[in-house]
Amino acid sequence: MNLEEKKQQVIEDFSMYDEWLDKYEYLIEQGKNLEPFPEESKTEDKLIKGCQSRVWLDCEKKDGKLFFKADSDAIITKGIISLLIDVYSGRTPQEIAEDDFAFLDQIGLKENLSPTRAGGLASMVETIKKKAAEAMAEPEAQPEAEAEVLTAADVKELAPLYENVVLALKQVYDPEIPVNIYDLGLIYEININKEHKVHIRMTFTAPNCPMADYVVNDVKTGVEDVPGITGCEIDLVFEPAWNTSMMTDEARVALNMDFDIEDNSQE
Amino acid sequence: MTIEQLRAQFPILEEKVYGRQLIYLDNAATSQRPLSVVEKWNQITLKSNANLHRAVHKLAADATAEYENARQAAADFIGAADAHSIVFTSGATAALNLVAFCLGEACIKPGDQIIVSEEEHHSNIVPWQLMAQRKGAVLKVLPVDDNGCLRVDMLDEMLSSGKVRLLSVAHISNVLGIVNPVEEIIAKCHSYGCAVMVDGAQGIVHQKVDVTAMDCDFYAFSGHKLYAAPGTGILYAKPEWLEAFPPYMGGGEMIETVRWSGTTFAKAPHKFEAGTQNISGVPTLVPAFGIATQMREQSIETESVKVKDYIYGALRGDTRIRMFGCPEKPQDKIPLFSFCVQGVHHEDLALILDKMGIAVRSGQMCAEPLMDRFGVTGMLRVSFAPYNTLEEAQQFITALDKAINMLR
Repeated sequence: MNLEEKKQQVIEDFSMYDEWLDKYEYLIEQGKNLEPFPEESKTEDKLIKGCQSRVWLDCEKKDGKLFFKADSDAIITKGIISLLIDVYSGRTPQEIAEDDFAFLDQIGLKENLSPTRAGGLASMVETIKKKAAEAMAEPEAQPEAEAEVLTAADVKELAPLYENVVLALKQVYDPEIPVNIYDLGLIYEININKEHKVHIRMTFTAPNCPMADYVVNDVKTGVEDVPGITGCEIDLVFEPAWNTSMMTDEARVALNMDFDIEDNSQE
Repeated sequence: MTIEQLRAQFPILEEKVYGRQLIYLDNAATSQRPLSVVEKWNQITLKSNANLHRAVHKLAADATAEYENARQAAADFIGAADAHSIVFTSGATAALNLVAFCLGEACIKPGDQIIVSEEEHHSNIVPWQLMAQRKGAVLKVLPVDDNGCLRVDMLDEMLSSGKVRLLSVAHISNVLGIVNPVEEIIAKCHSYGCAVMVDGAQGIVHQKVDVTAMDCDFYAFSGHKLYAAPGTGILYAKPEWLEAFPPYMGGGEMIETVRWSGTTFAKAPHKFEAGTQNISGVPTLVPAFGIATQMREQSIETESVKVKDYIYGALRGDTRIRMFGCPEKPQDKIPLFSFCVQGVHHEDLALILDKMGIAVRSGQMCAEPLMDRFGVTGMLRVSFAPYNTLEEAQQFITALDKAINMLR
């Protein structure tokens, strides 16, 4: 059943009851269908804030879809979260993020709850939406780029290229820092494939580095000038964040830094 | 007066919710208002609304007279010898904050101690915590026993340090509904030179209070729990305290003269009533005291006791229910009952009862330390007023049973 059909079904189910007491009975029954939530998973970070009773929500991404698990110590709240899960579990993050949750108004749930409960419902919806947004922001787990199998001969052939790429990187400077970017520790990863294309993962000392474009351009042209290299791709990342412990000892000497210096770049 | 006549004074009791007859059992949170209170509010607002004490015109004179008349009525209602010992505040919370602040400024030194009890409302905990932090004082806690009774037997030991400057205690806890032995506590504290503040938010509603006989140093209560307009509150303080206290808030009407070189202050109680007073609210205390007095008539009282005995018996006889606040003598219990139902969440119960037209309270009742004391996340509370009938009580018990069965 797609999302729209599912929502329609809930609306129809709800409309079968005139009395709110009966609707509560329906919700209570819903709550009983929830799959058990392990006691040890009922941790502080899974608690939904803003509910008077306690509600735990857990989310898992599988095959591009989100699957929710939840529990509550109050049985009507449990029914409500179970209803939400019934509708939204197994949907893509996109579907959830784009949904307006208006069916909750259509079944009149919000205005028939006490203000504290209504606030709780709003927090539940908020949390589900947040989970969807987070899932969308996560980079899709890259299907390992057909993991190239390198033979011993390949490695032997590529080794000098690595050395030359590093030499090229040691020629690149951030104009504001008298140490080359390689010794500064800005280069996180260098990969060269069989076609001799280079893939570099690198960072900057700070995300808002004003010279970023300039430096990235220098890296690209510098590496592509290395004899035998056919191209260079650069991924700029800020995770993990750079800190002074990533510098080589040479860089520390050049910057007159004390060897025992505490890493204070995080502060 | 019959209970029907009394109910006729409270039109809201005839309201329907979700198509069902309302049964209002959350009186400890706030009571309902009688017609006389609404009429007083209307009269002031429509006929004599003006700012107090300042202007010479007729409306101002009328409004001031109504306001000061309420002060005398309050003094009479609680047996205070002098109306000047009555300070109007916005409620019991404001009164407690006023005393905590002023006492702190006037005479608390680092290492001094303040005692509050374990059953206090947050409003009688937090102001003292704030003051203790500011002044380097220490807050001590008088525990309650498993039945919810204060451990008065521990007082001597706690007071014997000689460092306790004040003890603040509820006359009646808003969760346990037990009348505390305040006279005994006060006598004991005074013998150690320790002052006593009584939080009367619930006490004033259910007990005849005589502050002179009680000999408390401070007594605080809210108007809205006693049928008056919300935003009204009373602090009674012995005159020597008001004399010794510095001003709490600065502003209009609490001054004598203001110069750049400094300000002199009005005498108590005006010294503590900065800013425009609750012009239309405070005079409603007069009819509110009136109806509260009528509710103590024998005919109404008898009915109230019947309601209380019935509910107390029904709840205690139900093995699914764990009741909090069971004093040795039943006459020490007011018709306020907090309880948990085994295997059922208090909030679920409140929600179902609401849909049955019954207003009850669920949660922590602004007394988290007491919830911790009994190891619960919350309770369900029903609190009756004299206008609640035995029939309503019976309907509640039936509805509660139905709700429990729905949820178990």
